[in-house]
Amino acid sequence: MLLELKNTAVHYGKVEATRDISIKVPEGEIITLIGANGAGKSTTLRMISGLVRPSQGEVLFEGESIAHLDPEDITDLGIAHVPEGRHVFPQMTVLENLEMGAYLVKSKQEMKNNLESVFEHFPRLKERVKQFAGTMSGGEQQMVAMARGLMSSPRLILMDEPSLGLSPIMQQEIAVIIKEIHAQGRTIILVEQNARLALSLAQYGYVLETGEIALEGDAKKLRDDEGVQRTYLGMD
Amino acid sequence: MLKSNSMFIKRWWPAATIIIVFAFAPQLFETFWGRMGMYKLVLLQVFLANVVLAQSYRLMTTTGDWTLCHYILMGMGAYTTAILAKFYGVPFYLTIPVAAICTVAVSFLIALPLSRTIGFAFFIGSFALGEFVRYIWEKLHFPFGGSRGLSNIPRPELGQSGDWYFVDFSSRMDISNLYYGTLILAVFALVLLYRLDTSRFGNAWKSIYSDSELCESIGINVTRYRILIFCVAGFFASLAGSLLAYQWGAIDPDNFGMIEMVYLIIWVVVGGVKTYWGPLIGVASMSLVFELTRPFDEFRPLIFGVILISSLVFMPGGLEVLIPRTTRFFKNLVGTKEVS
Amino acid sequence: MGLDILPQTIGNALVLGSIYAMVAVGLAIAFGVMQMANFSHGELFMVGAYCVYVLYTLFGWPFELAVIASFPIVALIGVIYERLIFRPTRGNVLAGFMATAGAGFILQVLISEWYGVGLPKSVQVPYPGGSDFLMTAISWQRLAIIPVTIAMVFGLWYFLTKVKDGKALRACAQDPEASVLQGIKLNKMTALAMAISGGFAGVGGALMAPIVSVNPYMGHDYAIIAFIVVIVGGMSSIPGAVLAAFILGFIHTFVSTFADSVYGMMIGVLFMAIVLIVKPTGLLGNVKV
Repeated sequence: MLLELKNTAVHYGKVEATRDISIKVPEGEIITLIGANGAGKSTTLRMISGLVRPSQGEVLFEGESIAHLDPEDITDLGIAHVPEGRHVFPQMTVLENLEMGAYLVKSKQEMKNNLESVFEHFPRLKERVKQFAGTMSGGEQQMVAMARGLMSSPRLILMDEPSLGLSPIMQQEIAVIIKEIHAQGRTIILVEQNARLALSLAQYGYVLETGEIALEGDAKKLRDDEGVQRTYLGMD
Repeated sequence: MLKSNSMFIKRWWPAATIIIVFAFAPQLFETFWGRMGMYKLVLLQVFLANVVLAQSYRLMTTTGDWTLCHYILMGMGAYTTAILAKFYGVPFYLTIPVAAICTVAVSFLIALPLSRTIGFAFFIGSFALGEFVRYIWEKLHFPFGGSRGLSNIPRPELGQSGDWYFVDFSSRMDISNLYYGTLILAVFALVLLYRLDTSRFGNAWKSIYSDSELCESIGINVTRYRILIFCVAGFFASLAGSLLAYQWGAIDPDNFGMIEMVYLIIWVVVGGVKTYWGPLIGVASMSLVFELTRPFDEFRPLIFGVILISSLVFMPGGLEVLIPRTTRFFKNLVGTKEVS
Repeated sequence: MGLDILPQTIGNALVLGSIYAMVAVGLAIAFGVMQMANFSHGELFMVGAYCVYVLYTLFGWPFELAVIASFPIVALIGVIYERLIFRPTRGNVLAGFMATAGAGFILQVLISEWYGVGLPKSVQVPYPGGSDFLMTAISWQRLAIIPVTIAMVFGLWYFLTKVKDGKALRACAQDPEASVLQGIKLNKMTALAMAISGGFAGVGGALMAPIVSVNPYMGHDYAIIAFIVVIVGGMSSIPGAVLAAFILGFIHTFVSTFADSVYGMMIGVLFMAIVLIVKPTGLLGNVKV
């Protein structure tokens, strides 16, 4: 098991954001968390990457507890968090953004190799390395954020709403890239509101409702589940 | 009727006791220290003016707008009082309201552009506009006396020495009458500020602090309320300024500078601003520290610097956060059960 | 009063603008990273001037060496500020700002205790004489401020755009949370920003030491001006700070030359108020403070 959450809960002050979340992430799979706005999906990702501390439970990465570590140390372990929305560095060029992704990579050669392999996934970014990230379209900024996450050659990638606010064509493009990244043997936790997209990519899924896991199972099974279809896939 | 009367007494008796103690302060001081008691009386009078100032600053912060020009507003009151008393011989009971009205007008002019900014920009912007006013004082020899300021501000005519409660420090500089003038005005201002805190306006201001967008959506004109509070706070700051102008007898632009402003901030930061009692505790405790450190006054800024930093870092709510704890402690000590 | 003193006034304005830039850039870089607003930036400037007084006048070091030494010394004070004040009050701009006012008091008292308030300390002029280029007469001592400022601003630009940690500093200023997710240590970056901030103020003070009278309260006026400069320029924008420094330098010099220095300050303050009203983000800034 690459990552395991055991009965974790997160409190913001006195407000309980999530409770009793247990998730297993086997190496080499895409796991998805789906659910409505405010169901606790992003909070769970923020807890894994160390931005918020769990108030209960354990977070195990390769069997070792990481709940007490600072975000920068968790990044160092090989967990990359691609944050929601447009969290790129707007007044830095694409290249500088990617360099920041490789902040913890010490050797110049390794960083060069990473850059080349990242450009294989994102040829569009290679043409625009000098452009300021803040001046790009939403889809391109999402690509910058994902490419930046890959620059540290992580073993586990946390993706928070990669399709948010993108056109259907761009969503498809992002989906293809996620598949490619996965095909390289990386493990991905995908948080999505677009359940159809997420369940088509993932092997296993968790449905979150008001901070708790309401349902879990194989992605295929969830796709066929009547409740999921009605609530998240918009079918009657 | 009887019940409401007893409620009234229950609510106000601590304040009434304090006022009575303050009213007999000149007699007490004379008994204990003789003519030296007058020096203590001066301190007490400055203390009263400072309480009004700190309390008015607290009012200002209820919307979340901290300013750096409160001392300038106070200075406006002081200057207007000094000019009226010195050049036109206007009596005590007229200078103070006129000064307050002038200060409100200046506050309005400052608040108008400032209300376009919030938070840190508001803080710095208020400082810049305040400095602008201070440069005007420094530059205009008439009527502000330029950088040397105004001296020989006449003492208010409040009857002969010893007219009030037969106190007589047998000195040409007897200030016991001015003390009573200060006390009456301070009580008036503090009661008014207390009522304001719990009034409809007070609630509106507090709700602006918690969520200004929500206020806007339920029909509270946030900008208008923020300008209003600036003017009201200016009004009370002006009262404090008038009293200090009479007390000092001479004022100059440096009396209302940044260092004084920082001390005012220390009072309210140490005391806290969430409750009405915070600034009172702040002024009282810091005045005490100020007097105790008189022997090493060259180290005073250092001591206050350390106090300011440690209260911001270790006790962000100010001393007032201790009030519930201490009252609980004493109630437990007395053995009464707490009803909460 | 006429056109013949125009070149002279422009020269003076450039010198003044340079020194403003040196002080204001430090303020801007600290504010850019996690909104560290230093009320007592002027006291760091003052400590820089005392470095020159102690090392050059008292210990007899070469002037240049004393100026260079002022950078790490004052940078260290900046780091102490970060550790003791800005880190515990992170997320509350006003609390940090007010607490540094207290820190300014502390520095003033310490310096007065060590070296006395009494007479202002005079530092003999290391570069006597002056230029008479194009009808201007500016002492070498003042003129030297311009190349030093250019060199330091260029050095900062190089650090921020070419060096990894410099880029990380910019990243932190633009998006602290995303920076942390890249493995950048926020505490290291805030300390770095305060070190640079202090260093710039220190060198500014060190360069001014032979020109103005050195006393524990000398930093006050420079701090006020530096705040006006960064607000006009846009709180966290370094190019904005440099631009605004020269605008203010020209305003102050010209109004002082043709009218009076207090009017110069008044117009500067008024200019800032207008900028706040018309464009609350400042000339080149993009975040509302």
